[in-house]
Formats: sequence, structure tokens, C-alpha cells
Amino acid sequence: MAIDHDLELMLRVRRGDAESFDELLRRHRLPLVNYFARMLQNRELAEDLAQEAFLRVYQARHRYQPEAKFTTWLYRIATNLALNAIRDRKGNGGPASADGEGREGDSEVARLPDAQPTAEQQLMQSEREGIIRAAVEALPENQRAAVILHKYQEVDYRQIAQILGVSESAVKSLLFRAYENLRGRLQPLLKGGQL
Amino acid sequence: MKCVEREQLFAYVHQMLERREENEVRAHLGECPHCQAVVEEFRQLDEVLGEWRSVEPSPWFDARVRAAAAEEDKHARRPFLGLRWVRALVPVAVVALVFFGVVLMRRSPQTPQPVAQQQAPQVSQPAPAVPPADQPKQLARVQPPAVTQPQTAATAEEDELSLYQNLSVLEDYDMLANFEVLSELPAGAKKVVN
Repeated sequence: MAIDHDLELMLRVRRGDAESFDELLRRHRLPLVNYFARMLQNRELAEDLAQEAFLRVYQARHRYQPEAKFTTWLYRIATNLALNAIRDRKGNGGPASADGEGREGDSEVARLPDAQPTAEQQLMQSEREGIIRAAVEALPENQRAAVILHKYQEVDYRQIAQILGVSESAVKSLLFRAYENLRGRLQPLLKGGQL
Repeated sequence: MKCVEREQLFAYVHQMLERREENEVRAHLGECPHCQAVVEEFRQLDEVLGEWRSVEPSPWFDARVRAAAAEEDKHARRPFLGLRWVRALVPVAVVALVFFGVVLMRRSPQTPQPVAQQQAPQVSQPAPAVPPADQPKQLARVQPPAVTQPQTAATAEEDELSLYQNLSVLEDYDMLANFEVLSELPAGAKKVVN
């Protein structure tokens, strides 16, 4: 079995190699920031939490044991941070989504470059995205984490089970319920539905 | 023909089935339009979810993480160094305690009663500033015949006494009277101090 490259890098970080930490950062910053951005729907908080996740990896480098894939460990840290942040926000009575409508106006985080759509296409795309975001945000925390890990982070369901600390069959069931919920909420966009 | 459960079809679309189950579902889909429609809907849903585009981290994200890691290194070093200093100070503190303990033990015979005995040689050889006539008789009386104080110690105490007597800054006798050696001063010397 080929050794996970991230794992090799992490072992080097454990030995004090700063370059390897930089490489881990380069490899995972985009997926990690997006994971938090989708979980919390707040870009500023997403960057803060992604930074915190990397910092925790760095802090734990001496204790790191290559027992599982590096990404399993990374997303376990990230999921704990995200779920805690969601609960904190609920506890503080704040909105579930801090930037729900202000997404386009936020210039701090630039969109990934796309094939230059027209203004009308951009508007329609934004509206569709808004519906998808709202549908994902309406999911219970665990379902939301499972869907985002599965769909956007492309994490295998076996790995999701390790990240969430549940059985593989529980993850299958969790994902099925989540997708069924989403199917109900996203009906307007299914079957070629146009806004 | 019995349809496949929705959950099974979902698992089929997302490749969560064992090889045998997958083959069974595939065979069923070849002859069931209803299940085909369900599978198609799950695929569509997956496609729609894919419309949620990614965002890019801010340009300074890496720098922030590196700075946080550097800060972490700095904090991690501090307690370690602090601990080392504390450890290094422990033997020094022990030696200092032993030293002061020894000093205190050697000074303990100079409590009021023994002091009178130890200062007997001063009476026979008073300091120049104290006239012999002013020597208290009581002090002379308590002088034991067999004072075996070493000569060096007696000389040191004489020096100390004369030092106190000649200090011009000793203006507040009430305060200074608390000093053991001054309480032993003759009356004439007290006046000088006052």
C-alpha cells in the first residue's frame, strides 16, 4: 500500500520540518476553508476556524500517530471546530448564517475563476446557489457535516464514519436521510427546473 | 417484480454497495423504469448540489497561519525555559538557606543574657569614646572569672561597639535602642547618641 503523502509530510512536520508544514498548508487550505465556509456560511469565521484547525495540527505534531489518513485526522479536528462554532452561535442567539445574503458583496474571499458568465447568468447562478445554501443550512448538524464531507470534500463514507465517530452503516443512513431532505428542498431546481 | 428500496438505490448511485449488491441493483434497473427514475433524480440532485461553487482563501491566509504557528513556537518555548531556570535556582536556594541557617545558629549565643557575659572583655578594655568611670557596676559584677571568649571575637565586638558609638548619624536613640548592642551601651554613650 502506498504511503499517504500527507502522512509523510506530517511525519516530517513532527521532526520539525517547517517546509512540510507549508506544503500541508498549501495542499489543504482551499478544501478546509471551503469546508468551514459551507458548514458555517460565514467566510470570515471560516478562515478563522481553518487557521485554528491548522494551528491545532501544528500544536499536536509531536503527539501525531499515523494511525489513520491525515485527512481523517484533519477533518475530525475541523468538524469538531465547526460543530462547536455552530452550537456557540445558536447559544448566543445569533443567526444560523451570518452572511446568508451578503455573499456576493464580501470581497475578502474571492471566488474561484469561472468561465466568464453574463450578468444575467451570474444573477441566476447566485439565486440557485442561495437556494442550495439554504437547503444545506437547514439540515441537522450531523447531516450537514456528512453531506459536505461527502459531496464537496469528496471524502469516502468509510472515512466519514471515522471523522464523525459513527459506524459505516450509520453514515450511509445519515447521508440517505440528508439527501432525501435536500431532494425535498431543492425540488424547484430538479428536473431541469429554472428559476 | 419488486422494486429496490430508495436507500439501496441511493447507495448504488454513490457507490456504497458491495460488488454483489451493486450487480443485483444494476440488473433490476435494466427492467424497472420507476427505479431508473429514482436513480436519475439522485444523480440530478448531486449535480445541482455541485452548483455551489468554492471560494478561495484570502491572500494573507497562509501568512496568518504561519504567524500563528510561529507564535505557538514562542509560547511553547517559554515555559520550558522558565522551568529550566527554576530548576537551576533550586540548589542555589538550598545552599543559601543552609548558609543563613549556619549564620543564625552561630549568632544565637548573642541573646541578651549571654551577651552580658560575652561583652565582659569590653569592660576591661573600653572603647576610647567611653570613659571608664561610666561603666555600669552591674556589668562589672556579672563578669565571670572564667570568660573563655576567643580573643578575635572579643576584638570584633569591640570594633562593632565603637563603630556604633562614633556614628554621627545615630540621632534617634529610641529607634536605635532596639539594637541589642546599643542596649548594652554605658549611660555616657547614650547621651552621645541622643
